[in-house]
Amino acid sequence: MEAPPCSQVEELQQEQEHGSSLVVGLSLCDSAPLLWRFQDLKTVRSNSLVGALLGSLPRTPRQNIRLGRPLLLMPEEERVLREHHGAAALSAWNQVRNRDAAGAAELRQRYEEEQQRSLEEQSILALEDRKLALLRAMTSSSGSESGAGSDEALQCRLLALEQNFSFPRSALAVQLSTARAGLSHCQEACAFLEADRPIREQDSPRRDARYQVFRDLWGRGFFLTSAGKFGGDFLVYPGDPLRFHAHFIAVCLTLDESICMLDVLSVARLGSNVKKTVLLCSPAPDGSVHYTSLQWSGMM
Amino acid sequence: MSGAKASEKAPSTNWILQHPTYQQMKELNVGESEQIHAAFLVYMDLTEVRRWKEVSCVKSLDLQVVLLEAREKDGSPVHTVLPLPVHQSLCHQSIRQVLDRGFPMLLCAVASDSTLVYQRMTDGLVTPDPPVGPFEDAGRRQHRKRRHHR
Repeated sequence: MEAPPCSQVEELQQEQEHGSSLVVGLSLCDSAPLLWRFQDLKTVRSNSLVGALLGSLPRTPRQNIRLGRPLLLMPEEERVLREHHGAAALSAWNQVRNRDAAGAAELRQRYEEEQQRSLEEQSILALEDRKLALLRAMTSSSGSESGAGSDEALQCRLLALEQNFSFPRSALAVQLSTARAGLSHCQEACAFLEADRPIREQDSPRRDARYQVFRDLWGRGFFLTSAGKFGGDFLVYPGDPLRFHAHFIAVCLTLDESICMLDVLSVARLGSNVKKTVLLCSPAPDGSVHYTSLQWSGMM
Repeated sequence: MSGAKASEKAPSTNWILQHPTYQQMKELNVGESEQIHAAFLVYMDLTEVRRWKEVSCVKSLDLQVVLLEAREKDGSPVHTVLPLPVHQSLCHQSIRQVLDRGFPMLLCAVASDSTLVYQRMTDGLVTPDPPVGPFEDAGRRQHRKRRHHR
C-alpha cells in the first residue's frame, strides 16, 4: 500500500490541565494544519485553542462574518497539540478510502429505503387529504339534512376512493439536504487537498520566541488568536473570544532584539486607543517568559 | 549707542550647556550627548512644567545612559524615568534592567522638536481599565443608520 499523499495525523491527547482526553485528527494542506471534523473543532475549543474558520457556508455564501469548516490552526496551536502529547502518524487516509468503497453501496441502499418509507407516508397522508376533501364536498352539497341514505352513499364513495387511490412516485416530495455530509463524500475536494509533502517553514529565533510566549500564556488559561489587525503577534483573551474582549496585544521578541522607539510609541498608542494593554513578551534563558506591560501614561 | 553696540555682540553660549544640572549629567560620564540632551529636556519638563519633586539624575551602568528619579508629589513613590531620543532603538533586555531597579518606570521619548511622550512600563500583565459606561445597546439603531445612508 503506497504512502498516503495527504497525511492524516491522529493525536492522542490526555491533557490533565485542560480536562478532557481526546483525539484530534489533523489534515495537512501543504503546510496549513486544518481540522475538518465537527468533534475535533469542539475538542480544541474546549482546550482553549481558537483557530480560524475558513470555509464558506452554503446557505450564506457572500459574507465573511460567519464562516464554516475547516478550522485553520496557527502554527503555534498545531505545535502545542503535537508537543503536548506526541503525534502518532496513522495511515487513516487508507481507512477513509476503504470505508468509502463499502460505504457507497450502503449509503445508496439506505437512501432507497428512506425514499420508500417517505413514499408510503406521503401516500397515506395524501389519501387522508382526499377523504377529507370528499367529506367536505359531500356534506356541504347535501346541506343540513342527514339521513341513513346520504351516510351510506358517503361510505360507498369513501371506500371507492380508497380502493382506487394511488400515489404516483412523481408526486413524491423529496428533501435535499444542504448540510455538508462530510469530506469523504466529495472526491474532487479530497483530491484537490492532497499534498505531496507538507512544506514546513524554517525555525527562526522570532518564531521560537512566539511559540514560547504562546505556550506560556495558553498554559495560564488564556485564549490566543492572531493579532494582525492590531499590529501585534497575538490577542490575549481572559476567556472564550465569543464572550470577552481581548485584554492584551502581545508583541513577541527576543530579549536582545533591538526595537525602534517609534514602533514602541505607535503600538502603545494603538493599544490605548482600543483599550488594550500592549505586552512585550520575551522568553528568558531559564525557560520562563518576561512580560512588560506598556501603557499610555496619559501625561499631557 | 554703546548699549546698542553691546547688545549686538555675539550671542552667548547655549544656556543648556551652562546649566548646573546639565553639567552634572555630563559628569556622570555615560551616554552620548544626544541622550544627555534628552535627559536634560525631561528634567526641565518634570521640574518646571509638571513640578515633580526630588528630581535627580543617576547613571545606569548596564545601559550606559542617564536615568532620572523623581516623585510626582511629596510622598508618592519614586519613579525611574528613562529618557531616549525617539530615533534610537532599544531592546527588551534594557527595559527589564531598568525595571529591575524596583521602581515604577516611565519611558520618555524625546523628538527632535523637543516633544516629549511618556509611557508607563510595568512588569507582568496589567489588565486594562474596562470601558466606561453607561452602555447603550446599539441594536436597531445600526440598521436604521445603514438604511438612511443607502
